[in-house]
Amino acid sequence: MSYFFQLVVSGIVVGSIYALSALGFVLIYKSSKVLNIAHGQIIASGAFITYALTVFVGIHIVLSFLMSMVITFFLAMSVERIFLRRLIGEPIISVIMVTIGLMSIIDGIIYLTPFGAENFSFPEFFPKTPISIWGLSMSWTQMVGVVITFTMIGAFTWFFKKSTIGISMRAVSDDQFASMSIGISVPKVFGLAWATAGLSAAAAGSIIGNITGLNFDVLQSFGIIVFPVVIVGGLDSIYGAIVAGIIMGLIQQFASGYLDGKWGLFGTADVLPYIILLIILLFKPHGLFGIHEIERV
Amino acid sequence: MSENRWLATGNFFTSYKDEQRIFLTHTDRLVFVCFLILMFVWPLIFEVSSKYMLVIDSILIAIVAVYGLNLLTGFAGLISIGHAAFVGVGAYTLASFARVLGTNHLLITHWWPLMILVAGGVGAVFGAIVGLPSLRLKHLYLVIATLSFQMIFLWIINFMRFFNQGQTIAIGRVFWFTGKVGRKDHYFFWYYVILVLVVILGFAVRNLLRSKHGRCLVAVRDNDRAADAMGMHPGFTKVYAFALSGFFAGIAGALHAYLWRGVGFESFTLHHSISYLAMAIVGGLGTLMGTFFGPVAILMLELQVEHIAELVGHYITAVGDVATAFRPLSFGLVIVLFLMFEPRGIANWWRITRSYFKLWPFRY
Repeated sequence: MSYFFQLVVSGIVVGSIYALSALGFVLIYKSSKVLNIAHGQIIASGAFITYALTVFVGIHIVLSFLMSMVITFFLAMSVERIFLRRLIGEPIISVIMVTIGLMSIIDGIIYLTPFGAENFSFPEFFPKTPISIWGLSMSWTQMVGVVITFTMIGAFTWFFKKSTIGISMRAVSDDQFASMSIGISVPKVFGLAWATAGLSAAAAGSIIGNITGLNFDVLQSFGIIVFPVVIVGGLDSIYGAIVAGIIMGLIQQFASGYLDGKWGLFGTADVLPYIILLIILLFKPHGLFGIHEIERV
Repeated sequence: MSENRWLATGNFFTSYKDEQRIFLTHTDRLVFVCFLILMFVWPLIFEVSSKYMLVIDSILIAIVAVYGLNLLTGFAGLISIGHAAFVGVGAYTLASFARVLGTNHLLITHWWPLMILVAGGVGAVFGAIVGLPSLRLKHLYLVIATLSFQMIFLWIINFMRFFNQGQTIAIGRVFWFTGKVGRKDHYFFWYYVILVLVVILGFAVRNLLRSKHGRCLVAVRDNDRAADAMGMHPGFTKVYAFALSGFFAGIAGALHAYLWRGVGFESFTLHHSISYLAMAIVGGLGTLMGTFFGPVAILMLELQVEHIAELVGHYITAVGDVATAFRPLSFGLVIVLFLMFEPRGIANWWRITRSYFKLWPFRY
């Protein structure tokens, strides 16, 4: 039974990070209807910036964590300004293609840095002895990561519900023309959506980097696992992203805990999310919390 | 129709049948035939090293694959970021025959045209299965469906012992009327096979697009409600587009397996899917000519990038592998720049040049 609870704990750890990654993705989709395929690359660059600031420059981890969020905030904003602003009004296909192109470009840039080829790991900031309560163990890094993640998710939720900018973002996602008529600058909101997504991606990336170490492929895969998460949660629901993120984390942990090694299976955690994705797409395409008015063919 | 069938300076169509002809003027036809003869004759005249022959063969195979992707993305308006997986389905169809029957079974070495068709058929079946969500959904969701197919495909290949867990599965050498195709003639032989296939499939695509079955793809892309009102079923049309694209991809996969005489998972990753997309975009989505320009441009670029990376690598040795960095960088830049400045692709340049010569000495 304690094995089960151990899996639940690690599932929640992984799942909360998925939720944070998916949050940025949903944000961009909700405001500008763009599927940001380069999200994994933004996550990875956030993690690498934090590492570079901490280890190469020598800034304290808390400060460099915040600085990397700020840098990625402006990076993502300029990406929107340079590449995507021109494509407003173009067919949705070209917009998605541009994010695919961006993914390749950021890949290339990262391969030029040492992070593309080698693996790095953050120095230990916390005590090495894991926390154990009732026989369940959890490392300090994971604990702190989960706390930061939930705090950030809470902050984002507050931001969308209460703050003026958040409300204007929701207004734009609801109806662009109506929000323009009451004086909201729609391009500015698109830029802000990308910037906030970059910020949350950097946070997610830094936390993953601290927990699993810096490997470009691993960090990148967090951008692709976002797709099953957002489809299960509903493409345009922020709550959906959070709940589905945690569900997906639990599913993966249970899959690798109970399925692997039986019937000659292994690596099921990598494939199960996509199988679930296809099933959800076939039978309940608006996901758990998505808006039901999907335009049917 | 103008009296002179050699030169046409404008549209003189008096019937729909006129407009749908493959070649508008005799000059077009002549140029095409000359070009085709040139393509068939040049390897007999020039001596080409097998390294370059391999590149040329790969370009031709990519053209076959991009036929499918262009039908799907360009004409039917559905993005697929799993096209390499469909190519992989074709290749692994052949590989499973090789695993069950043995590397040099008669079916693989003597009946290879049949095997290529079978691979195409299996690709079509898989395409239709992945396209099934399109009965209910529109493009954004379909992108994700193709992406997840790519992931599931790679996992299955890497997981199953039957597929040698992604390690290379060998395919035997084929036989021609003159006997076994040896090492020396291998690339030469496949050049002609693939070239003939490219021509046949090119005409097939062109004729498809002239017929009801191809035009319904375009109709559904442009406005699915109007298409519905005209009596087409948009959902089934999309599934059919996926099946068609899977068919071409499957054929390309089988050719790939025969050309490299083996199948391994590393040729069918997400990066390859993206590079097929890049070919389709750079060539020009929704044009048949673009299908030829795209693969040539991208694979030539890749070749040049490798040269440049080698050159740069001599000067900068400190940072990681420059070649692995330059390839995605150049891909991405090419996709983004084309989408921003020339969304209609190289095919548009071709159109402009052609109309320039057609109307010369007048400007328009």
